[in-house]
Amino acid sequence: MNDLEIIEKTKSLLGDKILEIANPAVRRIFIRIEPWNLLAVVAGLRKNLNITYLATVSGVDLGESFEILYHFGHNNGSLTVRIQIPRANPHVESICSVIPGAILYERELQDMFGIIVDHIPDPRPLVLPDGWPAGNFPLRKDWKFERPEEIIPGGKK
Amino acid sequence: MKFTIPIGPQHPALKEPISLRMTVEGEVIRDADIRLGYNHRGLEKLAEERSWIQNIYLTERICGICSHSHATCFVQGVEKLMELNPPKRGLYIRTLVAELERIHSHLLWLGVAGHEAGFDSFFMYTWRDREVVMDLLEMISGNRVHYAINTIGGVRRDIDEMQKQKILDGMEVLKKRSEYYFKIGANEPTFVGRLAGVGYLSKEKAIDLCAVGPMARASDLPQDVRKDDPYAVYDEVPFDVCTADSCDVLGRTVVRIKELFESYKICGFLMKNLPPGDIAVKAPTKAKPNEVVSRYEAPRGENTHYIKSNGTNKPERLKVRAPTLANYPATVEMLKNGFIADIPLIFAAIDPCICCAERTVEIVNGRTGEEKTLRFSELRQLADERFEKMLPKRNAEWPF
Repeated sequence: MNDLEIIEKTKSLLGDKILEIANPAVRRIFIRIEPWNLLAVVAGLRKNLNITYLATVSGVDLGESFEILYHFGHNNGSLTVRIQIPRANPHVESICSVIPGAILYERELQDMFGIIVDHIPDPRPLVLPDGWPAGNFPLRKDWKFERPEEIIPGGKK
Repeated sequence: MKFTIPIGPQHPALKEPISLRMTVEGEVIRDADIRLGYNHRGLEKLAEERSWIQNIYLTERICGICSHSHATCFVQGVEKLMELNPPKRGLYIRTLVAELERIHSHLLWLGVAGHEAGFDSFFMYTWRDREVVMDLLEMISGNRVHYAINTIGGVRRDIDEMQKQKILDGMEVLKKRSEYYFKIGANEPTFVGRLAGVGYLSKEKAIDLCAVGPMARASDLPQDVRKDDPYAVYDEVPFDVCTADSCDVLGRTVVRIKELFESYKICGFLMKNLPPGDIAVKAPTKAKPNEVVSRYEAPRGENTHYIKSNGTNKPERLKVRAPTLANYPATVEMLKNGFIADIPLIFAAIDPCICCAERTVEIVNGRTGEEKTLRFSELRQLADERFEKMLPKRNAEWPF
């Protein structure tokens, strides 16, 4: 399957759900969809195009909204499914029911962006420490790191 | 009755901080849980405050074994963003370092696997031979670990005729030695018996859990970015994707050994066909707003970088996915229903060990799941209380 065949097949299978399909470079395809179609599109890609391998999930802070990119790999390149969710109500459906290997990436997304992944099988924090203050999401653009003042027991000599 | 054994995060045998919690029933592992984050350095946030050039330095330090992998993955993504075409000679040298790194990483892994399986002469042989390739890397780049050979638009150091000959000679030596040692390994029944059937990962599970690299290839999934999505000069180099169908640690060992021979072949090809010309082109400091998905086949599996630029000299977003993270869900699956004694072998790729117990024991009440950390004195007190209360019974049964 080359790029054109994948685009054609995706269009014919999921045509009504796809807002935009782009092919900016060889072996790179980007598909934009509505967030409520995510599970159906991922399941469709897996079942009909045999795209089973999820490389990772990236989040991007766009200001008013968050963009979430699901990067898939297959034997002829890479395919990315992108959705946008509002910052005021950051909810996204978990895709673990279709691709169980997505669990760590979704947990990382929850930690880093404060995006709530609905129906995630295991919602514990992944990378942030136990005592991390609530409501701090490091990869949001408005979050700035402030180095805590160093306290040396006994004072600085 | 089930017990939970904690291993790590700080453990004398662990080179990297990771916490494993094994729920065991007797000798059999029923469940495994991995906790990460002990080594989280906030690198993706940091990258947003660094320029493109500074980020090469940063990405090179993601990993200490496959340092070239992340730097190359980042650099070739940035080259796409800046619409640069690095010269052929530069790409050949970049690929050569990548393959030498794969050889050093696979030899290291084989040594560790031999050590965990109790075959220490294998470990010493492979680690001695690893020095050959480490010396070659030092000769090319000046460094043994962080080669710093990449720059945006090509590489930083050229290779001369004398070095070329040394690399070819080194590959011959390694090839001969590897053949001999692997003959020994394959004909040693205790070694093969120790590895066979351990850490089973079926093909279906490998697909579901998105395993990558030698782990996926050992479960008969022919997935290799070098073939599927050729970067650098892999579309010109002849090589085969190595797979095995035994789905166990033996299969993973076989895949890595086969890949070693492929890498020797690739290095030989690259040196014999090294084109003349420049090694780098000049890169601009800024990149137009765009985005790119960069993939790279590191020794442990696929690296994925998602890079987004915003027109300045700094990235808007850099997302890094290292292969080990992708393999954790599969690792949990492999540990289940295995034996405690197999943990080091299954985990050999990331190198933990449970030979030394931790100082505190975490007691889990098998009926309520309640957890408690006890000191030795408290444990003793509990035991005393229990024995005092216990009435001698004639038809005693195991309480759980």
